[in-house]
Amino acid sequence: MRPVYVLGVGAHRWGKFPDTSQRDLAIDALRQALGDADVAMSRLGGLVAASSRFEGGLGWGLHANEILQSVSEHGAAALNVGGGCAAGANAVHSAAMMVASGQCDVVAALGAEKMPKGFIPRPPGAKDDPTDSDYLRWKLMGATNPVYWALEARRRMHDFGTTAETFAAASVLMHRHAVGNPRARYRSECSVADVLASPMVSDPLRLLGICAVSDGAAAVVLGTQAEARRRGGVMLRVAGSAMATGLYGDPATRVPTVATMPRPGALHTSEVATAARRAMTQAGVGPAEVGVLEIADNSVWQVLAWPELLGFAEPGEADGMLLRGDFSIGGRLPLNPSGGFLSFGEATTAQGVLQVCELAWQLRGEATGHQVEGARIGMSAILGLGANGASIVLSR
Amino acid sequence: MTPVVPGIFETHEGGTRLLTSRCAGCGSHYFPRGSRCTNPDCLDKTLLDDRLSDTGVLYSYTIQCYQPPGIFPMEQWAPYIIGVVEFAQGVRVMGMVRGVESSDLAIGMRLRTAEERLSATASGDALSTYVFVPSEGGAP
Repeated sequence: MRPVYVLGVGAHRWGKFPDTSQRDLAIDALRQALGDADVAMSRLGGLVAASSRFEGGLGWGLHANEILQSVSEHGAAALNVGGGCAAGANAVHSAAMMVASGQCDVVAALGAEKMPKGFIPRPPGAKDDPTDSDYLRWKLMGATNPVYWALEARRRMHDFGTTAETFAAASVLMHRHAVGNPRARYRSECSVADVLASPMVSDPLRLLGICAVSDGAAAVVLGTQAEARRRGGVMLRVAGSAMATGLYGDPATRVPTVATMPRPGALHTSEVATAARRAMTQAGVGPAEVGVLEIADNSVWQVLAWPELLGFAEPGEADGMLLRGDFSIGGRLPLNPSGGFLSFGEATTAQGVLQVCELAWQLRGEATGHQVEGARIGMSAILGLGANGASIVLSR
Repeated sequence: MTPVVPGIFETHEGGTRLLTSRCAGCGSHYFPRGSRCTNPDCLDKTLLDDRLSDTGVLYSYTIQCYQPPGIFPMEQWAPYIIGVVEFAQGVRVMGMVRGVESSDLAIGMRLRTAEERLSATASGDALSTYVFVPSEGGAP
């Protein structure tokens, strides 16, 4: 396997863009990443798209072939990968494998999404199917996605004594990080009192403690060591990239299931924990070496639970770490210096690609306004519907 | 009453039970029925129809404060509790919790499975779902 390097990254703004098509968001992000890489579109040996379900050509959602047919008909390999909200990281991983294998010298990974407003509903036109847990959760009890995170949050309060104020402090931190990030959608600081005064959505989670949904697009261009040398600047290597699915006995209340079969000792959120372990093992690093961490903070519960699930803290320790400032920019483990999903809103399949863009900006020292000083290793971790997990480790 | 989804629960004189498949090889219960055994260490995977105990213990809960989108056929919507109940068979099941004020909810309390009307069909029949209600005797 050849070493793989980040040549360029780019992202469209996150927000609501009713007049811009998903394809145009995608092309904008791809052009920015190619510009950053100093690579002409026609030199792409492959394009990997994180396939989305909400919008896109030919009724398939976003597909790489549609983008290539729109902007550059030069015969590049088109690969379309699913994986729910982890699809973006799966796309980056797949692109890295295409370079590592020797098949291609330059490959781009792309995610773009336009989201429906409000709670993410059952996909339009989906059949009534009693063996489909997504059908069951809507039909039997009407459980929205925040219900699942709230069930975990309530149990955390019982197990570790996490308070409403500490959950609120997690939201405050994510929003504070975003103040300096011009790419974030929500850039206003908020206080614990503001979070506690925001409407209750799914007790104990309030509006400012769960992520919104956004439109957005991000792209990453990967290539060989020779291509990275040609570009010049900081040499950023994809030191680890891994995908995983869930393990039997995982106790997580996982969207959209209605039951779990927990087994003693089983990993919680095992798809993400497994992917993160694999990526760290590939990179030859442990949690102590990671200088910046970007996780999927769909709610404030993840801000506290994921550093523990991923091995950065013992169970129950994250509350104290948060309150001591360990997760702040400048702290021991800067967590989501971008501002995370809570400050961007989730553009599902684009999110895993955006995380890698953010790591690249951080490690290159280009994260203007929200820079983590001196980080040499950055890691992402993301969860996708259907027990998909993925993690990417970059090192400079 | 007609269950809003068939094959999920049954109500007899003895009460309402959630229907599971039990693996003859490893003993794992799966809810709902129709699942396959996913235990990677189990080679048998023959599934037998089974069901859960009538009561379980509240593992966690939330109060859903906004009306969900789409297909949930609840009349006169108002915020309601969704809980996770742990059964002796090693399965945790999500469902609505009824008959208890949210201020009286406590993780660890014993709940009983019951059937409750959600709404009426076009023909006037009642559509129902399974819910969890406080169990007589209260404490676990």
